[in-house]
Amino acid sequence: MIVCVAVVGHQNNPLYIQSFTEADDALKLHHIVHCSLDVVDERVNNPKKSGPTLNETFLGLLYPTENYKVYGYLTNTKVKFILVTTDLDVRDADVRNFFRRFHAAYVDAVSNPFHVPGKKITSRTFAERVSTIVKSFGSSSAG
Amino acid sequence: MANFLAQFHTIKNSSDHLVIAVEDVSDLWPIVKSEFEGRLPFKRASLNNKTRNSVFVENLTAEFILTTDSRLRSRFPLEQSLFWFREPYATVVLVTCEDLDEFRTILKPRLKLIVQNDEREWFIVFVSKAHPNNDQATKLAKKVYAKLEVEFSSKKRERCCKLDIHSPEANFWEDLESKIMESIRNTLDRRVQFYEDEIRKLSEQRLMPVWNFCNFFILKESLAFMFEMAHLFEDALREYDELELCYLETVNMTGKLRDFGGLDRGDDQAALLNPGSKPLTQIVQDDSFREFEFRQYLFSCQSKLLFKLKRAFEVASRGYSFIISFSKALALRENILPFCMREVWVITACLALINATASQYKDGPPDIEKEFYRLQGDLYSLCRVKFMRLAYLVGFGTEIERSPVNSALLSMLPWPKPAVWPLVPPDASSEVLVKEKMILQETPRVKHLGIQRKPLPLEPSLLLREANRRRASLSAGNMVEMFEGRPIFNDGSGSDASTKISPSQKVRASSMSRTNSSPGSFESSIDRPMRLAEIYVAAEHALQRTISNTDLWKSFSSLEEYEKKYLELTKGAADNYHHSWWKRHGVVLDGEIAAVCFKHGNFDLAAKSYEKVCALYAGEGWQDLLAEVLPSLAECQKILNDQAGYLSSCVRLLSLDKGLFLTKEREAFQSEVLRLAHSEMKDPVPLDVSSLITFSGNPGPPLELCDGDPGTLSVTVWSGFPDDITLDSLSLTLMATYNGDEGVKALRCPAAIVLKPGRNIITLPLPPQKPGSYVLGVLTGQIGHLRFRSHSFSKGGPADSDDFMIYEKPTRPILKVFKPRALVDLTAAISSALLINEPQWVGIIVRPINYSLKGAILHVDTGPGLKIEESHVIEMQSYVDVSQSAADMAKSDAAQKEGSLAVDKNFEQLRLHDGRIEFPNWANNVTSILWIPIRAISDGLARGSSSVSPLRQSIVDGMRTIALKLVFGVSHNQIFERHCHFPSFFQTLAVHFTDPFQVSTRIADKCNDGTLLLQVILQSEVKATLTINDAWLDLQDGFVHTTKGDGRPTSGFFPLVISPHSRAAILFSICLEMSNAEDEAKALQPESILNINYGISGDRTTGAHPPVAVESPGPKGARQDLIFRSSLVLQRPVLDPCLAVGFLPLPSGGLRVGQLVSMEWRIERLKDFEENEISKHNNEVLYEVGANSDNWMLAGRKRGHVSLSTKQGSRIVISILCMPLVAGYVRPPQLGLPDVDETNISCNPAGPHLVCVLPPALSSSFCIPA
Repeated sequence: MIVCVAVVGHQNNPLYIQSFTEADDALKLHHIVHCSLDVVDERVNNPKKSGPTLNETFLGLLYPTENYKVYGYLTNTKVKFILVTTDLDVRDADVRNFFRRFHAAYVDAVSNPFHVPGKKITSRTFAERVSTIVKSFGSSSAG
Repeated sequence: MANFLAQFHTIKNSSDHLVIAVEDVSDLWPIVKSEFEGRLPFKRASLNNKTRNSVFVENLTAEFILTTDSRLRSRFPLEQSLFWFREPYATVVLVTCEDLDEFRTILKPRLKLIVQNDEREWFIVFVSKAHPNNDQATKLAKKVYAKLEVEFSSKKRERCCKLDIHSPEANFWEDLESKIMESIRNTLDRRVQFYEDEIRKLSEQRLMPVWNFCNFFILKESLAFMFEMAHLFEDALREYDELELCYLETVNMTGKLRDFGGLDRGDDQAALLNPGSKPLTQIVQDDSFREFEFRQYLFSCQSKLLFKLKRAFEVASRGYSFIISFSKALALRENILPFCMREVWVITACLALINATASQYKDGPPDIEKEFYRLQGDLYSLCRVKFMRLAYLVGFGTEIERSPVNSALLSMLPWPKPAVWPLVPPDASSEVLVKEKMILQETPRVKHLGIQRKPLPLEPSLLLREANRRRASLSAGNMVEMFEGRPIFNDGSGSDASTKISPSQKVRASSMSRTNSSPGSFESSIDRPMRLAEIYVAAEHALQRTISNTDLWKSFSSLEEYEKKYLELTKGAADNYHHSWWKRHGVVLDGEIAAVCFKHGNFDLAAKSYEKVCALYAGEGWQDLLAEVLPSLAECQKILNDQAGYLSSCVRLLSLDKGLFLTKEREAFQSEVLRLAHSEMKDPVPLDVSSLITFSGNPGPPLELCDGDPGTLSVTVWSGFPDDITLDSLSLTLMATYNGDEGVKALRCPAAIVLKPGRNIITLPLPPQKPGSYVLGVLTGQIGHLRFRSHSFSKGGPADSDDFMIYEKPTRPILKVFKPRALVDLTAAISSALLINEPQWVGIIVRPINYSLKGAILHVDTGPGLKIEESHVIEMQSYVDVSQSAADMAKSDAAQKEGSLAVDKNFEQLRLHDGRIEFPNWANNVTSILWIPIRAISDGLARGSSSVSPLRQSIVDGMRTIALKLVFGVSHNQIFERHCHFPSFFQTLAVHFTDPFQVSTRIADKCNDGTLLLQVILQSEVKATLTINDAWLDLQDGFVHTTKGDGRPTSGFFPLVISPHSRAAILFSICLEMSNAEDEAKALQPESILNINYGISGDRTTGAHPPVAVESPGPKGARQDLIFRSSLVLQRPVLDPCLAVGFLPLPSGGLRVGQLVSMEWRIERLKDFEENEISKHNNEVLYEVGANSDNWMLAGRKRGHVSLSTKQGSRIVISILCMPLVAGYVRPPQLGLPDVDETNISCNPAGPHLVCVLPPALSSSFCIPA
């Protein structure tokens, strides 16, 4: 289950963060997303390590922990997408697919002329679309 | 073969180096032993690795063992092949012989016997005992050695070397070493080949049921061990890696259910770095090994080799993933393992790995180093999580900070899943009481500053429920239901703390519900749900059974010990993360340390750490997380009495997203700020409120001011305070956009200001600024003792709280001050001269240039010779410049269409007060003309001129100046005195005054009767029509009018109208007065005066006009009679010429250009010159011929003396050759007599004024045909 998706701006500022847990514990997911920026930074700043994937937007698994997984995605404008999932058995292709769709949604949201770049994304349409993508993530991985 | 495991194990433990056998044929070993062993270990050896590539190894240890040694003798052949790795890798045969016969008969057969075994790698060392001085013996030894070489060495391989005991050859030892090495290399290659073949055979059978992992393992590890002995660690490591892979593939494949292991006492302590912790024989299980021990064993072997390879980093990185994967394996068997075995194992494994790798790690490249520290941090962090989980289980959960990091780590970590939740031991009731008391005593943790927050969960689900479920599932039914209906339990994030208020009640309640939901199922009192305290106690006891490490157990024995360990782990993680790339992880953990420091009253440290955390979150705009930490920081600062810090924290709290705190909380923050600002502080505290108070200019174009003008600036200020806030003072700086170094001046708000929440508009007085464009700078102000400043600039909207990059603002100019320019233009509206000595209007056109002249004052200061007719009013009217209006035709057309005529005439009469004129309002923006009555005063009388000597009047004579100073501007009254650059306009206007006429006279005719016709020519000097009403001439002495009377012309001539700048003439007939001697007595009137009574009709806009009357003149009729007087000097005619100069006629042929002509003058003395004896040379006359050199060329003396007799009638002719140069009527040369007064010269006959010069005769030479 995806518990959280986030968009983080190129200055590592949160632009959009949505958790999908029922409990009132979004803050811990904020923490997870924030800390995962360490890994993104590390990969971006160490070209040696990220050599083969330098040109790829999908950063892959950032955080192998015991209980949840964090995936990252870096757009050309250095906007990061972070996905936190509690599924421990996730196929890479699913995540890639998810991020691709999420990226499309993001691009649509920020193309809104009333959106100020670098500001939080407040679009309700975007939120709806994201939740649709998140919901379909489970089904696509199942199917 | 598995039976050999034990033996294999002992052999492996006993031998860890290569063996070199020594076949001591001639009992030489005791002699050479020390020297041989002195070569060990081999400094540098070249061996082949598994892929047959040459590898250099260093410090290769080996041992020389005699073949007679028991260790080499008592072995069975099977053992030998299986444990081949321990067999000698080389055989050194030591021989000596001093006799050829002996060699042939005894030694040779024996050696042949020894070396026939093909398995061995051997070589012979011939030891020569011959003394070097003993030639005989030496020679013999050489011979024997030669024989030996012939027998045993081959071309392919040298198998002999010779050692002279008394004088060993220099390269003997090198030779020996290389021979040993060659042997070892060959042996090693052969054995590797053997093992590989064996392993391959076994691998092929892997999928068959007979396959036995133990056999495979023994072979594989033997090979690995052999590599290790040969210091080929890389190869050894590879063998182990392959072994691990193979194990993991096969362990669960066969379908046999094997024991996992991990149930022995002490198994909870990870043995992942200690290969010898448990003998392999103990963990063998059927044909394989128990997973728990064996995987650790493999990892420990790998790590040992990695440490030998100095790759501590790899140990850490492999270790971390090993721990994670092993932990998963443990999780699968949690139900068979002791309670919390998994957590304990992870803790011990992490700690062991951390200690080992940290002590072994040497400096690596920076990248690796960072990564290494990151891994260390990860290990610490993992250890910390498990530790906290255990601590929670034994009841220290209340001590764990419910921070986001802990929540993230713990709430997603499932509870341990033992088959049965441990039960409270029967004798533990007292402990239960203690725990219960602890639960009851625990004060609910209150957030600072009265912030109400739901605590973050630390548990994946309720422990109470989980534990009881695990207990219940043991016996019967599903007890889950008993909690299902209860909302408090459905709330997944609810903490156990919420249930602890009255555990007994809860239990009762739950048992009631249980009875309701599934009646009769659980009546047994043994299965009664455990209370929280009981769960804690039970967990504690179970843990005590699990944990074999006393040190670790100590950490759970008391709160202090727990905290000590917790701090150690947290600090370890934080420090290591700080050394790595993962700064955020480190800083966040610093916050956790801070929480502990805070609890122990170490506020200083806590504040420092909290500040770091806050800076991290604030720097990247993570407001939600910041809102969690900032109150703690504020509390620390409050306790530390760090007022500035506390205030800034409060302000930061206020400036966070409004949704993050309740209004009530925000109001509390504000009241804190106000309380501090107004009370306690001794010194003013500076504070940056950029995030809270922002400001911007009003939308629209910037305020535009002219240089030197003051103004008022209106600024929008956004207040982020939840309530109204009173600012004691407020000021704002303006910054010039182009020169930043210019001293910025603050604009002060005159009074205290109350800022409403949200948008406020504030107007500030703006003193004159230098030219340029300005942007808003800094807003500063004061609340009580609090001196705040704000840099932030909002773009016309409310402060965007997520806009933390606010400082880099795109600045829009708010004020433009123009460069000094002409704001007004004052010109005289006069195109021609005015009448002198008459009151005249002088017009001054005041043209404002896009600038209002509101309240302008004109200072008028007249120059000398000019005065303002103060008795008269000044007129002001709007003015339309004809040339301009022509240019603006299109514009005015448009204006006319709109219905408002551009020109609306204004007229006003003004008065002069102390030389100042105040402008009326209508003149603010329109060009106006000011008519000032002035009078130029000239004492002198106009002088006429005669035609003979025209009088040139200097234009300066009629010039008068008016100094004008216009003071205007927005608030000149206040500022004019101080600022010299204040808009004021100084100008000096020059006005030209003139007499109406210029008079010149000439004698028109001289009648025979002595009457002279005096022509008085009047040149009008003004651009106005003059009407002469009367004219008369007051003659000077010596002249009289011919008619008796005043000599007025006939009145019928008048009025005589003279158009502007035209001429008129009046003839007077006068005659010379016969002077009497008596008349001499009366005063002589030297000049004649011409009096003209005239009127003028002119427009004041063009020039001279009728004088300003005191009363406004009627439109017509009332004739203004002005008198113009001009003096004329009449000269009496020449009466006694003594010389006559006559111009002799020119030749009749006329003059022609280029033709010489002789000009002749005749000078005749008319009277005797006797009485005139002044001149000494009376008989000489000075003459001078003057001519225009452009027209004439003169030949001969132009100036000279000619002698002329003093007798009357004497005459002389002066002739000069001239050549005219130009054709036309030209003035001929003139003869002058400089010595003689003009009055004494009569011109008779008078010379012509002009002569006609013809063009030159045609020259035929030009007409010659070519």
